[in-house]
Amino acid sequence: MASISKAEKAFIQSSLLSDPPLRADSRGLIDFRTIALESGVAPIANGSARVSIGRNAQDGGGGTEVVAAAKLEVESVGDGEGADGGRVACSVSCSPTAYPLLSPNALDDLQHDMTSALNATLSHPTIRPTNLGIIPGKKSWLLNLDIIVFSDAGNIFDAIFMAARAALWDTKVPITKSVQYRAKKGETQAMDVDTDETALVGSALDTRQAIQVADFELPDYWDEGEPLDGRQAWPVCLTLNLLPTLHFLDATLQEEASVPLKLLVFYSFPSDATPLLRGMRLLGTGVSDLTQVKSLLKDGEKYARNVWVALEGKLKDEDFRRNQKARERFLNR
Amino acid sequence: MPEITILKRPREEAVITQRMFFKKTARGKVIKVLRERYLRDDISCGVNGCRACDATAQTVLSRSGDTTHKGFPTGHYILPDTNVFLAQMDLIESNYFTPPIIILQTVMEEVRHRSLPLYSRLKALTTTDERKVWVFYNEFRSETAIVREDDETPNDRNDRGIRKAAEWYNAHLTLAHPPIRGQPNVALPKVVLITDDFANRQKADKEKIPCISVRNYVDGMKNSDQLLDLLSATGSDEVEPTRAVAGRTALYADYLPMSTLVAGVKAGQLHQGHFNANQYNYLEGNVPVPAFTKAVLLAGRENMNRAVQGDVVVVEVFNEREWKAPTDEVIDQEATLKNDDAEDSEEEGDDLMVHEHESKALRAEHTKKAPAEKQPTGRVVGIIKRNWRAYVCHIDSTSLTSSNATSLGLQTVFATPVSRLLPRIRLRTRQAPSLVGNKILVTIDRWEITSRYPEGHFVRTLGKAESKEAEQESLLLEFEVPYRPFGKAILDCLPPEGEQWVVPPKSAANPEWRDRTDLRDLIICSIDPPGCQDIDDALHARRLTNGNIEAGVHIADVSHFVHPETAMDNEAAARGSTVYLVDKRIDMLPALLGTNLCSLRPHVERLAFSVIWEMTVDAEIVNVGFTKSVIASKAAFEYGEAQLRKDDPKLNDNLTQSIRLLNSLAQKLKAKRMAAGALNLASPEVKIHLDSSESSDPVDVEQKALHETNSLVEEFMLLANTSVAKKTQESFPQTSVLRRHLPPPPTNFEKLQDILQKRKGLKLDVSSSAALADSLDKCLDPKEPAFNTLVRIMATRCMLSAEYFNSGSVSRDTFGHYGLASPIYTHFTSPIRRFADILVHRQLAAAIGYTPLHPSLHSKMHVERIMEVVNRRHRMAQMAGRASVEFYVGLALKGRNEREKEVTEDAFVIRTFRNGLGVFVSKLGLEGLVMFKRDTQFDAENYTISVPSSGIGRPDVTISVFDKVTVRIEVEKDKNTQRGRVKMTLVSPVDSRAL
Repeated sequence: MASISKAEKAFIQSSLLSDPPLRADSRGLIDFRTIALESGVAPIANGSARVSIGRNAQDGGGGTEVVAAAKLEVESVGDGEGADGGRVACSVSCSPTAYPLLSPNALDDLQHDMTSALNATLSHPTIRPTNLGIIPGKKSWLLNLDIIVFSDAGNIFDAIFMAARAALWDTKVPITKSVQYRAKKGETQAMDVDTDETALVGSALDTRQAIQVADFELPDYWDEGEPLDGRQAWPVCLTLNLLPTLHFLDATLQEEASVPLKLLVFYSFPSDATPLLRGMRLLGTGVSDLTQVKSLLKDGEKYARNVWVALEGKLKDEDFRRNQKARERFLNR
Repeated sequence: MPEITILKRPREEAVITQRMFFKKTARGKVIKVLRERYLRDDISCGVNGCRACDATAQTVLSRSGDTTHKGFPTGHYILPDTNVFLAQMDLIESNYFTPPIIILQTVMEEVRHRSLPLYSRLKALTTTDERKVWVFYNEFRSETAIVREDDETPNDRNDRGIRKAAEWYNAHLTLAHPPIRGQPNVALPKVVLITDDFANRQKADKEKIPCISVRNYVDGMKNSDQLLDLLSATGSDEVEPTRAVAGRTALYADYLPMSTLVAGVKAGQLHQGHFNANQYNYLEGNVPVPAFTKAVLLAGRENMNRAVQGDVVVVEVFNEREWKAPTDEVIDQEATLKNDDAEDSEEEGDDLMVHEHESKALRAEHTKKAPAEKQPTGRVVGIIKRNWRAYVCHIDSTSLTSSNATSLGLQTVFATPVSRLLPRIRLRTRQAPSLVGNKILVTIDRWEITSRYPEGHFVRTLGKAESKEAEQESLLLEFEVPYRPFGKAILDCLPPEGEQWVVPPKSAANPEWRDRTDLRDLIICSIDPPGCQDIDDALHARRLTNGNIEAGVHIADVSHFVHPETAMDNEAAARGSTVYLVDKRIDMLPALLGTNLCSLRPHVERLAFSVIWEMTVDAEIVNVGFTKSVIASKAAFEYGEAQLRKDDPKLNDNLTQSIRLLNSLAQKLKAKRMAAGALNLASPEVKIHLDSSESSDPVDVEQKALHETNSLVEEFMLLANTSVAKKTQESFPQTSVLRRHLPPPPTNFEKLQDILQKRKGLKLDVSSSAALADSLDKCLDPKEPAFNTLVRIMATRCMLSAEYFNSGSVSRDTFGHYGLASPIYTHFTSPIRRFADILVHRQLAAAIGYTPLHPSLHSKMHVERIMEVVNRRHRMAQMAGRASVEFYVGLALKGRNEREKEVTEDAFVIRTFRNGLGVFVSKLGLEGLVMFKRDTQFDAENYTISVPSSGIGRPDVTISVFDKVTVRIEVEKDKNTQRGRVKMTLVSPVDSRAL
């Protein structure tokens, strides 16, 4: 959102278009700045992460900084708010210090844009984790994913999606046990009562017996719970900054201000299937045609896979650091 | 400048520094809770003079530990696992159990999570001075704190923590006792882990931690004989692994898990309520539930499914066509199960026999009953809350295998509870022979699905059966009356002057006189039953110049001495009410207040709370005022005395005139009340004549005489209560303490109506209290004047009992008092003996602006909670009083039997059974059963029973409800239980001894 003069804009554009392309921080066109990620930053949330891109290595300042936190809430299905099987609601809020030049109204607009991009991708029913239901038809989890942008030094969407993915990866759903009482209608007064795990989805079509699950309980309240189902599926975002004839990644604020068009692609890479394009968006005043977008998508997929692999490795590291390593350190005090 | 350092705890250490758990709230939300944990190194081990620990801690454990145990000659401390406290609390609390105990924080928390009552007993244990108990906060000491591993259940984690602490303690003791040069190494005391968890013991053995099971530990103690009996049955299963548990057939269905019960109740498919056993038939019980107007019937052992009187149970109701009517047969547990052997009643053959017995007993016409009498029938599927406590029992002497008085062998015997509502309890004891003939206290530990009887353990002996002390104590225990003497903290709340306290001279400076009216000159007197020491009410009346009458009721100002939130207030709230036994009074307030400072004795100045009305001569209230006052009563009369004075035409002094004035008003008040539909109810009340105060041998029993003056006092008390209720309800509509009597559901009267209709052709109109009062008046039998009283007694039993309630908790239209036909009512007039009255005093004082209302009385929840306790105590106090009278009636009858050879009395039949009659002896206020051994013709529809007459060839004699019969009353001592019981046999119209 930096406002720069026409001369600056022309200078940056011509540098990028020169051969070899030149960027202010001497990066190549498809190089990222350093990305730092830490999960479990908000202990009271069910999952959280902090992502910063391009933080100054010496003093830790500068760079784009985003914190995401997922909080689970029990919702009743059927009284207008909850959805059977759970739902995910995302919201992005920007700290005013991240955008000191924007008026409050403009900030609201920006937040809304970001929220809608996030919601359209992550709240989509096709990607909803299967373990957000508690009692079919009665209770479910509402996953509130809240993201705060602390500072923006360019490439905010990539940062937001990375933080979102990390927080969701980190999210643990408390294990619930539904409690039901079922009296068979019939000659025998015998009663069939059982309690079982939440996986009752299959019997939803079976109307012969009326299942009356009334409530749920937490069998192990010390336990964080199990990770969200299909946490592999949360997509990453990749922003392709388009300057006619070329594209580059991870733009700084000035570079963002100098390009007429940005293409956001949201990809996920399931281990057992072909890459999945979860969505795309064109931002900016420029124009583009279908053939160009097609080739850009192909490139985008390639870059996104790199981001995906790096993120996946780091997330696994984080899990290890926070559990096993911490415990070992405790034992070896 | 103090230096402030901030111990910053990096987030990487969150696993150690934070304890996280989820909580499900009552509204169904799930909350994640995080607690910070700071580990420290200065938590003391609690051993005296430990060099390794902080010397400033108040340590309690002796340096050498306990050296009296056989297994640990070098001294030891015990460190019990959670299961020990959960199962063996009686053992730990026993005075014979003396080893120093280390209680871990982990254990405390686990106990609290599992059982709150046990947790509070454990807390009490840690604060008593005489016991050596040390609580070690192992989760906060850095060496003993642990972190839960992956895939570790909470239970395993806690067990590991306990073992870790035990291990640490043993290592720590070597630091506390460093070897001293030149001296031989002293043997160190050990810290012994006690647990009944086999897996935990195995692991501890592997880690070289000394550990032992509870039973083995107690076996090695020096006073193991007394202590082994205290072991609860849960601890005993490992001792006899030879018993083929699996081979036994289950007699009962398993309970459903708690969560399922809650879910079922929420969904409305199951019903929750209190289990009531049937005192006539031990194979039947019922559970009143809100969903049905009639209680849910539970017929048979299987359907009662191990519920014990008072338990909160969950029942499942059967299909409507399987509904049954209650039996009309008396089934006595002792008779039916006479041959059941305590030792091996599990055996197959025996089982079948018992089963046959019981099912025969149960078959009794369940099906042939008229459909109208059927009631919801179901079975118990789970228990929400056990209400087990210690029960007073006798040992069944026939169940002893060896009666050799010196035998100390472990025997399994039956204990028969004094209450007919409870099942026999099986217990194992070494002292069986010495317990026979004593009243003992027994607690139930568990009731397995494979065992016909609950299993329990012996707690203590109360004394010889039928000795007065034992009977009295057993009575108090049975009705849960708190009877311990008042503690020091409570007595400290009394005025320091003690007996010498007087009302200070009148002056503005004395706080006692603030806002008090000086009524010392009024002609006030009190009228009470003979021998009354706690006089809490006094009266006066005088004519005013305008022709009206001023009448006043003066109530002891107890709230002046009992302040809210003091030890005395809490104790009084817990006791709820004074309990009157025939020969003993268990006070709610210390005797100094009850019989002296608050007692409105004659000729001394006393503080009072007065209600003063201005009335017309026709007893219409013109005006009412409430004020704190100082009075000086001029006389204390007994009812009879006051009556004589009033009737004596020669006396014409002020006092007598005042009584006459009060009497005339009272009569008019009563007439008005009756016109409004108040009921004249009757309950059998008798008076026990005691020989002398020392011997307290009852000489005779007679019915209480009623004087006109009884009714005088009663009317004015009712009036005062009603006036006060109106005032406090106006001032504090949300939290005023009121008393109500709900109209009984008409179904309660169905049976009585039917009997009256069929036997006497009389109709009972129960549509309103006025209609009922009218129709009760018409229930007359010209030949039998006592008949009316009998009907009133029976009608009273159909009604609900009155209760205290909080005005903000129920809807306004349910405030009414049915029996008194008053729209609003409370208790104000007996603050010395009822706690509710004290609350009402406080509220009235606030209502007239004398004091501000204590915040606790603004809290709806607080008032509701107190009301619940007070209602329960009130009920228990009444029952204890009645039981005490019954006991003395029994003693008196025994005495009469010895003198008169045979005691016969007239009695009314009040119930007919298939094999017996329920009779009521009005002269003694005694209800009894006449049983027939031979078969009789029973007509349930007409409530008659035909008994073969004594002479051969003569027609059968028909006896029906309301018939007057003559019974022979004997007191026989039950051979098995040493329980003295009244036995009645019919003398006329037919002698039932032959039957």
